[in-house]
Amino acid sequence: MNGTLILAKAEIGRLWRNKRYFLFTLLIPVVLYLAVGKTKSTAYGTSFGVVYMIAMGTMGAFSGALNGNAIRISQEKKDGWIRQLRLTALPASSYVVAKIIASMATTVPSVVIVLLLGRFYGGIHLPAGHWLVIAVTMWFGATIFAALAVAIGYRFAPDQAQPVTMIVYFAFAVLGGLWFPLGGVMQKIGEGLPTYAVVRICSDVVSGASVPAYLVAALIAWLAVFAALATLAVRTTAESI
Amino acid sequence: MNTDYGAATAVRARRPAEQNGPVAVFDGVSKRFGRLLAVDGLSLELRKGETVALLGPNGAGKSTSLDMLLALRKPTSGAIRMFGTDPYLAVKEGRVGAMLQSGGLMPEVTVRELVTLVTSLHPDPEPVVETIRRAGLEGFKDQRVDKLSGGQTQRVRFALAICGKAELIVLDEPTVAMDVETRRLFWDSMKQEVADGRTVLFATHYLEEADQAADRILVINRGRLLADGTPAQIKARAGAKRLSFRLDGIDETFLLGLPGLASLEIHNDVVRIQSRDSDASLYALLRAGYRPREIEITSLGLEQAFLAITDEDNKKAN
Repeated sequence: MNGTLILAKAEIGRLWRNKRYFLFTLLIPVVLYLAVGKTKSTAYGTSFGVVYMIAMGTMGAFSGALNGNAIRISQEKKDGWIRQLRLTALPASSYVVAKIIASMATTVPSVVIVLLLGRFYGGIHLPAGHWLVIAVTMWFGATIFAALAVAIGYRFAPDQAQPVTMIVYFAFAVLGGLWFPLGGVMQKIGEGLPTYAVVRICSDVVSGASVPAYLVAALIAWLAVFAALATLAVRTTAESI
Repeated sequence: MNTDYGAATAVRARRPAEQNGPVAVFDGVSKRFGRLLAVDGLSLELRKGETVALLGPNGAGKSTSLDMLLALRKPTSGAIRMFGTDPYLAVKEGRVGAMLQSGGLMPEVTVRELVTLVTSLHPDPEPVVETIRRAGLEGFKDQRVDKLSGGQTQRVRFALAICGKAELIVLDEPTVAMDVETRRLFWDSMKQEVADGRTVLFATHYLEEADQAADRILVINRGRLLADGTPAQIKARAGAKRLSFRLDGIDETFLLGLPGLASLEIHNDVVRIQSRDSDASLYALLRAGYRPREIEITSLGLEQAFLAITDEDNKKAN
């Protein structure tokens, strides 16, 4: 098997055993959805239950991609594990690629479990195609945060990476409308964020409204920005690792 | 005992042309960090099968030199070749294994899982069971990496350095945090690696260790190579013996002219001499009619030799 995939598999194994990771990616979104998901209300032109299901699934996955990586990368850089890996036959980029592959795999359960809860506990019925589109959108929108986590992890020492990650997490979760649907001024602020774009694209798909192209463009633009930040952080720190 | 000859021969057969070339060459290598010149025009050659100690005080440029050899840092000027090729390629071909002070371990996995993982990242590795045996990890192979003692952690790092069945093993202060017994076991396993035809380069500030384990010592100070030779040659270079005696009516000019003299100290009637040839120094003294009392001749350890060499260099700098 390819070395990068071997490393990715080991990373997935580690995340699987990590209790903190489970708490943020699965337990919190599931508990919140069970507690609030059946509220009778509307948001973004569809039922509140649908929006909240999308928001919780996205939040778990996004939190896994961001919190699961940023502080660990920072710590592993400080401890010299990245340095040790550079002494193997692995190409220099493998460490980052393996982290991203591991994120792509470990964010899937957050999305799938919350959507299953929505279907069987929340009683949400959607055409099969809609389930698929929203699942992929949620997963993609959350996973781009793995690139931002790489940027934070390489740029900051562990004691700084911790608060930076928390600030970024709260900003994107609250302003993007993952905790509660946005309205008024808050919506104007949050509209540019990828977390908002994910929830809005998915709720528009469900409500049958046409998805504005700028939301899709925004998601891709954020991916480009995060990837550029990550590449820059990795390049500029190469001599100090 | 040794099960590796077949595989080692296969490795050699694969690279016949480079067989007799040097393992690594530094050619006028310098490294500058801002205003600090950490390594200053270092030139040296490592030959196959040698155990070489890189000896120097803290900040001498040992770790920086090893980092450049391992392609972790780029020299500011000069060139490094490993096995006749670029060090980065040599690393990617699995021809060098290293244990760095700054090298860390992946947490949250067991020792065996980590060794298995890193083994599988090398192109032509040692079997995992063999690495575990050689590095002495049997007693704690199922423990989590982040729950180990300092000495155990060092042994795991050693395992990662040898698991790729590399031809060159680079060790930066390998026995830090090891107790005396673990240290002895460590050097025993190291001897096994050398017996298998590997080349070992280790940085240390334990002089005793350099003396016992190395067959060649490179003394570096302020980024420059000051001495390169066998432990015996290094000791000889600084004046191999210390000669001391009491003498009334000392004539300093005469003493300074003694054959073999490397340094002279006089305190009242006590004379201390470092001499490259203590016999000749003593005979000359007696022939001149002096009758020194309480004569003592002692061997200088490597430590004094090392201090003498670096002191001399530091004095030149000031």
